[in-house]
Amino acid sequence: MLGQYLPLLALLAIATLFSAVSLVMSGLLAPSKPTPPKLDAYECGIVPSRDTPARFPVRFFLVAMIFIVFDIEIIFFYPWAVAHRGLGLFGLGSILIFSFAVFESFVYLIGNGALQWGPLKQVAHPDGSVSSKRTTTTTVRRVGLEDRIPGPVGTEEAA
Amino acid sequence: MILALDPLYLTNIGLAVVLIALLKVVLAFAIVLVAVLFMVWFERKVIADMQHRIGPNIAGPWGLFQTLADGLKLLMKEDLVPEHSNRFVFKLAPFLAIVPAFLTFAIIPIGGNFESKGGSVRIFGYDTYLQVADPPIGILLFLAMSSIAVYGVMLAGWSSGSKFPLLGSVRASAQMVSYEAALGLSVLAVILQTGSLSTHEMVADQAAGGFLGFIPNWNIIVTGFVPFLIFLIAGTAELNRPPFDLVEAEQELVGGFHTEYSSFRFAIFFLAEYLNTINMSAIIVTLFLGGPSGPVLIEGIDWAWGILWFLVKLFVFLFAFVWFRATLPRFRYDQLMDLGWKLLIPLSLGWFLFLAALNIGNDRGWNPGVVVGVTIVGGFAGGALLMAAIRTARTERISQEVDAHG
Repeated sequence: MLGQYLPLLALLAIATLFSAVSLVMSGLLAPSKPTPPKLDAYECGIVPSRDTPARFPVRFFLVAMIFIVFDIEIIFFYPWAVAHRGLGLFGLGSILIFSFAVFESFVYLIGNGALQWGPLKQVAHPDGSVSSKRTTTTTVRRVGLEDRIPGPVGTEEAA
Repeated sequence: MILALDPLYLTNIGLAVVLIALLKVVLAFAIVLVAVLFMVWFERKVIADMQHRIGPNIAGPWGLFQTLADGLKLLMKEDLVPEHSNRFVFKLAPFLAIVPAFLTFAIIPIGGNFESKGGSVRIFGYDTYLQVADPPIGILLFLAMSSIAVYGVMLAGWSSGSKFPLLGSVRASAQMVSYEAALGLSVLAVILQTGSLSTHEMVADQAAGGFLGFIPNWNIIVTGFVPFLIFLIAGTAELNRPPFDLVEAEQELVGGFHTEYSSFRFAIFFLAEYLNTINMSAIIVTLFLGGPSGPVLIEGIDWAWGILWFLVKLFVFLFAFVWFRATLPRFRYDQLMDLGWKLLIPLSLGWFLFLAALNIGNDRGWNPGVVVGVTIVGGFAGGALLMAAIRTARTERISQEVDAHG
């Protein structure tokens, strides 16, 4: 029985060896002249001004946690699927109850907004209306105009 | 339950058996490497054609050796390890990406005569299958390996010590785990039909019988298309290929999780990506399109026909993946998550229960019409519940936003 896994082990060894040997070869063939800019984090040519953020949106953690629960539940389906014909009606009833429990918790999660990723823009103005008070003259704060001579056209005074 | 096992290892495992196993492994490894080289060339050439360009045409005839040239070039490029990186994890991540990709290929049956000989061939007097290994866990190995591949992506981005790779890898991990659930649920439909996890059994099961004498007994038909479609979509997302390639959305994330990788470490990620594409196409062929099964038109070289049918079916999907890339625009992240969680997972769960009820009803002599009717009612009830939940979450969020911003 375990003999079936023999080629898998061999393939594992060959794949690891292949990667390792190519990396060593690359190390031997390639030049190595590291300079500080090369070794810095790549940010499109700009020198990074701050460290990599250690935090990221909590939604990603949520997805990971939900996934663990669901993946375990899906794995429970596998042995049942292999043996389902032998289990008959009793098996079908059990899996329906189990699926109901899975689905119910899934619906609860969605209802709670755990999987809500929608962009804020759509949500902020649900009826598509924006207050008429908000225009470019009311929302944009002009600074540095105090001592200037008003321009001919297109400036505040002209408008 | 029948456990399909490679007959090669059922006899006493002697030197000859070990040598044949090693031969198969080395051959498979070489085939995979060459296949990846040509897959990259194929993708570039097809996309070039679709965009009215010529594509690679300098290295070798029709640019066939372009990938080889690129690989050699990368081998001779400077290998940088960023100073803010976690050096050990940074160097470990490419291994976690490539090794699972190679191991997945092991369970794919690539040939054999399934018409009359049960898919086995004779090599040096030993019966064996034309697949590297046929372990009893079968398709679970594929799911396990795609789970490990997530670690490769996650650790690569996290250990780079740079913000774009981190963002890319966090996105990638969330995407891959989300679609893995849908992937696992759609594979279940095939297991219901086969009653075994072994990929060889799945092919043997699809090779037997058929409808009306000419429509093959493929799982794509037997399971009713829906699991196939879900698997194709979830598989594309699992591969991080367009239209689900948010991981490497150049405009937002530079190169995604492998931004900081250079030289052959980058080449290894690239290799793993294309290897996974080939694997995914081959798994789709195995699960839903009967793998290497097909008619033997000329007796004598019967093993070659299996390989031919397998390659023909494989090319359909390799081309489809390239076609997706050339045609479809990228999804937005919330669309991606909504598609995976709110549509594919519930749909595949419901379809799985439907098929299971059909099977058991068939055994017990129920009227299939009743099963279909109950499924439709249950499906509508579940769908309504889900829609209500989505609406609740949405209105809740809107009222929160209105409270916060007036």
